[in-house]
Amino acid sequence: MHRLERLINLVAALLHAERPLTADELRHRLPGYAEDNGAFRRAFERDKEALRDLGIPVVVEPVDDAAQPGVVGYRIPKEAYYLQDPGLAPDELAALHLAASAVRLEGANGVEALWKLGGELAEQGPLSGGGAVAAIPGTAHLGPVFAAISARRRIGFTYRGRRRQVDPWRLSFRNGHWYLAGHDQDANEERMFRLDRLESDVEVTGDEGAFDRPAHAGDQPPPWQMGAEEALTARLLVDAGQAAWAAGHVGPDAVEKWRTDGSVVLAVRVTNRDAFRSFVLGFLDHAEVLGPPELRAEFVEWLEGLCRS
Amino acid sequence: MPKLSADERLQRLLALIPWVASRDGPRVDDACARFGCTQAELVDDLELLFLCGLHPYTPDVLIDVDIADGRVWIRYAEYFERPLRLTPAEGLALLAAGRAVLATSGGDDDGPLGRGLDKLAGAMGVDAAEAVEVELGAVACDVLRTLRDATAGSRQVEIDYYSFGRDERARRVIDPYAVFSAAGQWYVSGWCHRVDDERLFRVDRVADATMLESTFEAPAKAPELSAYRPDAGDPRVTLDLDPSARWVAEQYPTEEVTELDGGRLRVTLVASQPAWLERLLLRLGPQAAVVDGDRELAAVAARRLLVRYQG
Repeated sequence: MHRLERLINLVAALLHAERPLTADELRHRLPGYAEDNGAFRRAFERDKEALRDLGIPVVVEPVDDAAQPGVVGYRIPKEAYYLQDPGLAPDELAALHLAASAVRLEGANGVEALWKLGGELAEQGPLSGGGAVAAIPGTAHLGPVFAAISARRRIGFTYRGRRRQVDPWRLSFRNGHWYLAGHDQDANEERMFRLDRLESDVEVTGDEGAFDRPAHAGDQPPPWQMGAEEALTARLLVDAGQAAWAAGHVGPDAVEKWRTDGSVVLAVRVTNRDAFRSFVLGFLDHAEVLGPPELRAEFVEWLEGLCRS
Repeated sequence: MPKLSADERLQRLLALIPWVASRDGPRVDDACARFGCTQAELVDDLELLFLCGLHPYTPDVLIDVDIADGRVWIRYAEYFERPLRLTPAEGLALLAAGRAVLATSGGDDDGPLGRGLDKLAGAMGVDAAEAVEVELGAVACDVLRTLRDATAGSRQVEIDYYSFGRDERARRVIDPYAVFSAAGQWYVSGWCHRVDDERLFRVDRVADATMLESTFEAPAKAPELSAYRPDAGDPRVTLDLDPSARWVAEQYPTEEVTELDGGRLRVTLVASQPAWLERLLLRLGPQAAVVDGDRELAAVAARRLLVRYQG
């Protein structure tokens, strides 16, 4: 008998069961298990492991039978097994398929996830054709952290030598790394944790639905807005050659006007002047701080200081 | 398609059974396309099902499978009426891929992808836009598209490219080998006809890309180019850094680091690209001093910038 048949029958039996079935019951009901006790145990353990690896929720419960005290049984609760069908329209499924084949997350298979949602439907789009264009590195922590985010459960882990208790809010992939944003209980404030720097496994320590996620948690402002200085609006002229890149970088809301020569004037809110200066210096002589006057004067002073040294 | 293991076949069957069972005889070729298998593989898997069902495996409790006239039916498998829920890792993989594509292609949250992501995230109890954010690097969608098409069709491309390291903008004709995202940036690798050598270009620095009629022969194996390739012949610079500038040693590859008094550092860096070093020194200002190398570099650059502020 093919092992696949036995596994299908095992899932069917456990899903269909109204009460937990003991290992002995399963052995007698399912064809294909060995007569030998040791061989059966090994095969059964391996099968359970295989089902759990696929995410099938095989639960262990005491058998409610006075004649068999201490004996446990197995079942698959329907409510934990069945997919909550998100009801995807064909064009939505096709768009997801396209995304999953263009961008792959290491260690998780988006295509297998699509099977459950109704299979793969191809569609043409800006990233279609060819193989994966981007592979996002994964870490073993991603699954447990994301599960805790969706269930809104507090988690514990070691980070920089300290044990943390964190309400997880949001996962971000930036500059090649995964970050978790959440509320650090001991520090009592929002913190970012780089997932590849976790020094322990992620342990779930809280109940489901234990906190509310604030809106736009973890949104990181640009460096020139990461400061507590009095806010000012800097006006920056960027030459044609760099204008498109600069406008894309600060966002369309910060574009004051495009000049006919292709250059652009940006109006950027600044609360960290040092960081803004560094940003402007990146353009070398292809940009100019137009105002306000005190910011322009500071910039000139910085450059003059460099000429003297 | 590589041969699947028993576990992978199980995974596919557990998705296939509810899909077929909830329809009135879908076409076999449609099922094959959706579940990524050949007709023979599908028939193989379905034949296994003939003997599956519930104890005591008498005909009345066996799953009923019918294949006829290019269509397939599955009946009496009520317990498989719905597919298995997504694992957190699978859900995240889909959300991350979708968010990345939305961010890259200019993000239309009301398009099919945006709507699909919202539904999917809703089923997982999260808000797609709030729970997962993926930045693969901001690029112009049309430029990325042109480069991808050219790569797929082995067509040459003319790009208007700004070299950040040399602070120089020029048009070049390239043979694009591959387009990919790494460490938060999109790159195109290929042969550059301007320098007659392999080069790696950052897509966000490509102001404009035009596909040409001419084709090229793609190399059997695309060369592996990394974004940063120090060369033994590249110039070196040695800097003394104030404590506030110690981050330089963490952020850039260094050849030598020595601790000095008072938390200061002496570092030797490879500075193959003069504009890169100019930017670094302009930003550091009084926090850095050139010990070995062109001591005038920062002052000369500062004077060049100051020209814009005179008069």
